[in-house]
Amino acid sequence: MEKKRQKRGKLSSCSGLTCTKLTILTISAVIIQTIGLLCFLMGFFPVKSTLSGVSGLESYYPPFSGSYEAHNDTVLPPHQLKSLYQNLSRVPPLFDRLILMVIDGLPAEFVLGKDGHPPSKVFVEAMPYTQSLLAKGKAIGYHAKAAPPTVTMPRLKAMVSGAIGGFLDVAFNFNTQALLDDNLIGQFFRIGWKLLMFGDDTWLKLFPGMFAQHDGVSSFFVKDTVEVDRNVSRHLSVELSTNDWNLMILHYLGLDHVGHIGGRNSILMGPKLTEMDEVIKMIDSSITQSQQEGQGRTLLMIVSDHGMTESGNHGGSTYEETDSLALFVGLGEFSDASTTNNIANQVDVAPTLALLFGVPIPKNNVGILMAGVFNSLTDDEHLRLLELNSWQLFQLLEAQLPNFMCGSFKCSGQRENIGPRTGRRTYDSVKDTLCCLYLDAASLHESWKSEKGSRSTGGDDCSNIILAYHKFLRASSEWLSHRATDRPVGTLAFGVAAMLVSCLVLLALLYRYACEMSLRKEQIISYPNSDICRWCLDENFTVAVVCSFILSMGSSSMVEEEQYIWHFMTSSLFLVLFRKTIQSFTAMSLQNLLILIKEERKRGLIQVVSTIVILTSGRILRGWHQGGVNWTYLPDISKWLEQAGNAYTSSLQLVSGILLIITSFFVLLMSAGSKRTLVMIIASLYLFPGLLVLHRIIKYQDSAGYGATLVAQIFYCVLSISTIGTCISVPWLMPLKDYKESGHELSLSQDISCKFQPNALLQGTKDSVFLMGWACVFSWCLLQLLLQQPINSMPLFLVFIQILATVWYSSSHDLQWVEVAALYFLGMAGHFGLGNTNTLATIDVAGAFIGVSSHSTLLSGILMFVITYASPMLSLLSLVMYISVKDVDRRIHAKDMNIGEVLKMNLGFPCLVPLGLNSIFLTAYTIVLLLMRNHLFIWSVFSPKYLYVCATTACVCIGVSLMASIVVYTVVVLAYRRR
Amino acid sequence: MAKKKGESSDSRNDTVSATSITPLKAFLTHLLCGIGLVSAFYVAKNIYSINLIDNPAETLRLTWFIEAPIVILLFSLFRKRRNDSFSYLRAVTQGLLALPAGAVVNTFGAIVLGAPFIHHLPRTLHWSLLMSVLTFVPAASVFGNSWSDWHRIFARAKVLEAIDFMICLPAHGAVIGAWFGAWPMPLDWERPWQEWPICVSYGAIVGYFIGMVASLGFIIVHKFQQHVKGD
Repeated sequence: MEKKRQKRGKLSSCSGLTCTKLTILTISAVIIQTIGLLCFLMGFFPVKSTLSGVSGLESYYPPFSGSYEAHNDTVLPPHQLKSLYQNLSRVPPLFDRLILMVIDGLPAEFVLGKDGHPPSKVFVEAMPYTQSLLAKGKAIGYHAKAAPPTVTMPRLKAMVSGAIGGFLDVAFNFNTQALLDDNLIGQFFRIGWKLLMFGDDTWLKLFPGMFAQHDGVSSFFVKDTVEVDRNVSRHLSVELSTNDWNLMILHYLGLDHVGHIGGRNSILMGPKLTEMDEVIKMIDSSITQSQQEGQGRTLLMIVSDHGMTESGNHGGSTYEETDSLALFVGLGEFSDASTTNNIANQVDVAPTLALLFGVPIPKNNVGILMAGVFNSLTDDEHLRLLELNSWQLFQLLEAQLPNFMCGSFKCSGQRENIGPRTGRRTYDSVKDTLCCLYLDAASLHESWKSEKGSRSTGGDDCSNIILAYHKFLRASSEWLSHRATDRPVGTLAFGVAAMLVSCLVLLALLYRYACEMSLRKEQIISYPNSDICRWCLDENFTVAVVCSFILSMGSSSMVEEEQYIWHFMTSSLFLVLFRKTIQSFTAMSLQNLLILIKEERKRGLIQVVSTIVILTSGRILRGWHQGGVNWTYLPDISKWLEQAGNAYTSSLQLVSGILLIITSFFVLLMSAGSKRTLVMIIASLYLFPGLLVLHRIIKYQDSAGYGATLVAQIFYCVLSISTIGTCISVPWLMPLKDYKESGHELSLSQDISCKFQPNALLQGTKDSVFLMGWACVFSWCLLQLLLQQPINSMPLFLVFIQILATVWYSSSHDLQWVEVAALYFLGMAGHFGLGNTNTLATIDVAGAFIGVSSHSTLLSGILMFVITYASPMLSLLSLVMYISVKDVDRRIHAKDMNIGEVLKMNLGFPCLVPLGLNSIFLTAYTIVLLLMRNHLFIWSVFSPKYLYVCATTACVCIGVSLMASIVVYTVVVLAYRRR
Repeated sequence: MAKKKGESSDSRNDTVSATSITPLKAFLTHLLCGIGLVSAFYVAKNIYSINLIDNPAETLRLTWFIEAPIVILLFSLFRKRRNDSFSYLRAVTQGLLALPAGAVVNTFGAIVLGAPFIHHLPRTLHWSLLMSVLTFVPAASVFGNSWSDWHRIFARAKVLEAIDFMICLPAHGAVIGAWFGAWPMPLDWERPWQEWPICVSYGAIVGYFIGMVASLGFIIVHKFQQHVKGD
């Protein structure tokens, strides 16, 4: 912001009205856009509409009868509250103690198998004890379907509160905060339980001060798979022998880390599962022992918060990621067929545990009790629990549906199965159906109760009632969990309107600027063959590209497979440019045989060569990662390299690192010209960080020890000093005197227009902007070499080459918005070429901790952003280099030379085009998101994509302001020096 | 300026190529080309009992094998500079030479736009040969190695007379059709025709037919205008 203000301040001195106006309008458009985006985000992703307060005694009374007089139950001492709950619920708790063992990232498939098939042999053999428990019917397991986003904190919240959190919970995953809504842990705490927690410190952040004893481990060292779990297990023997606690939570992170490192089939997976199995065995035998000694009954519950994909990532909504486990050990005997084939939702854990242990169900719970768990209860008790669950859901429905009163309601006719997506239904029909289902169950239950005396055992009756209750529970749970939350229409409309306005402002500015530029072009240089570009195919095609992107955003499969579109359209655009090159090349040489034929030919050759380089590297990039969702199993280069072995990957990383550094230095030295000393100084300045990166690649492959962190930290330090130092000092050190011989940027791209007097200010600007642009691009690439996964270093090099070739391609042309747009497209295509997709699962979490020695949400967040947006940011930074190779001076009359004019000529397109393009995409996608709000994939496909779009917006704003401030700074300093 | 230049070269070309193409000739040529394509598919279906969806490589091979002689023999009739040593045989030879050369260009284009590189190599090969027949081969037969004509037709799409329409429009139609034909490929409809290069070939053929119809239309309009001008 400060830079922008600086830019505005500097520009206000310029004479042209449009110049100041342009800056102010652009900045205000960006500000309006940001405000609109924030409004929309707050409106569209509400922070959950929840019932406040906690469930208490009232949850044991019918919700609408009013028979409960408000007690102030918080004043009751815990043990009294506990016994009161027991009396009111009329079901004695089955257990005294609970051990909740959370195995992070364990897919239920590993333990229970899939579709009735047993799990693969490796996993069966790795967990002999658990499998024997299941086979003997001593345990019952559920495939507990987790809701996206499948990352730890929202899933833990869902398990303990029974509520499906807002989508933005994922954004707070790295900034865990206390869970204030009603939840199981709070309920247990309230009845005076002693709670222990060993494992992931997310629990401590969610429930500060509730655990009597705890040992939190951080999920911070992703590469550590051993110590995290040892830190949990070392407490077990002590705590299992003393029985003074009521709830013990064990959260094992190791398995998730194994997945992140090596995927599902990692060689570490088997031993890790065996380790978990040993823990289960140890706990189970100690439970049996203490039960025999009469020290109360203990339930062991093994859950996982989410699953993982084949490659070990999670965050999305595929079956592999949402297939989490809920396994009860110690409930009693089950027939062995029923132990593995059960399906539930993850939120069902909360009511099930609440009812098992006789505490009120958390207020916002949308889960329903897992029927199989309550087999050992009498019919009476079972029905009572169903009734309690129904009452709780009924209350939630009352809060969510206005006027949900079933008291005087008459049901008639056939009721259809309700669901959120069976068509457009009004609230009324939902209300009617749910009411009917509830009244059905309740009346059956009433009559069952009243004829209790006259009936011996109600086998058939009872199962009918259970069925009726389950119908109501399932219907209301489904409706509640899928209900599109009420969105504040005003805020959303304001947000969209603001974005639209800013988009229109930017486009209008761009249009007027382009008109002015072409006018000026015709005034100053009258191309003899200006008819060639009347119908500019490339410009029309770029517009068509933008339009087709907007259209493709509406289709969920196009969003999932967006990388194909970017690659296809970018390559097509370059083919169109290729055609244009051939077109202009020959036409010019035919018609202007007398002047400049050699240079024209040379320029044509450069363009042909660079286009072919861009197209070829683009194709390799596309084949590197088989991104997307539907075709990830297809072979690609990265999979092939992984199969070939680690040695290939690391040598490839080294090779691409060396190639990248050599190419950069080559480009720098080629541009030396008269400013040789300065270039040499910069080159030697950057040699050190370059070598440091290579050193780290060679020495600290795959290790996260102290040394690696230290090297990374030194690197950060050196790199930031060199970059900031270069950018500040270059304009001051740039030689100004002998401008006539001053060098050309790339030796091959010599300025052919000698008829216009090169101006010292302009030439100096170009030279120093080039050096600064080079410094920024090179630093960014070095940073990415350090941060990106080894497999990504070659794609990084290819993106770098593509961008260099584009700059080369466009050298000594006029500024053209198509070229800036092409650079932007290259950046986006490269974004997907580096393996990013539109699901949150592909964000490289492990890389975000390189060189960070203490847990810092901010630092890791920044690093994650840097890794994810490597390619778009690179393309934006390369715009600085792009500006410097353009010969805008041809268009400026010597007489109206001033800072404002120079800035306007240089920065107009590079600022407006990325901002405009991004604003179009942002606005269009916002509207698409609004239209799709009832789509089946809104949370799994469209919303993650929207987060990416928002992050891209941030990236574009940061990149453009960096670029603008560099150029403004240079021009101002040089102008000052010339005075 | 452009118009003047166009007219002048128009008159020059008229003197060089003595035969002007009547709409009837153009219609017959396009009809024969179209029949060639259709009969190729007919033969594939009824004689060899293969089709594009199940056996793309074989069907495409059959198609270009049938279409190529038709196109070469027909378009060689319209060769330019027939007064020189530019014999019919030479035009045919040039058409034949252009077949693999055009295939290389088409393969490059397809692979750059994302066609599989190693897998499905036969499919890519036969597809690009078919594309070559539809795009470059007629131009090679008619223009030979005249760079300026090639440049005029393919880089600048500047059409001067009837034969230019007959080459330019179907060729551009085929390329643009193939480009649009690639659009359904990433969708998750799980249809067999979404495979490379089935829908691309369909798109190319549809584009080719549209191009031929447009070419006929333009030729008739062109002829009409010339008549008006002559009067």
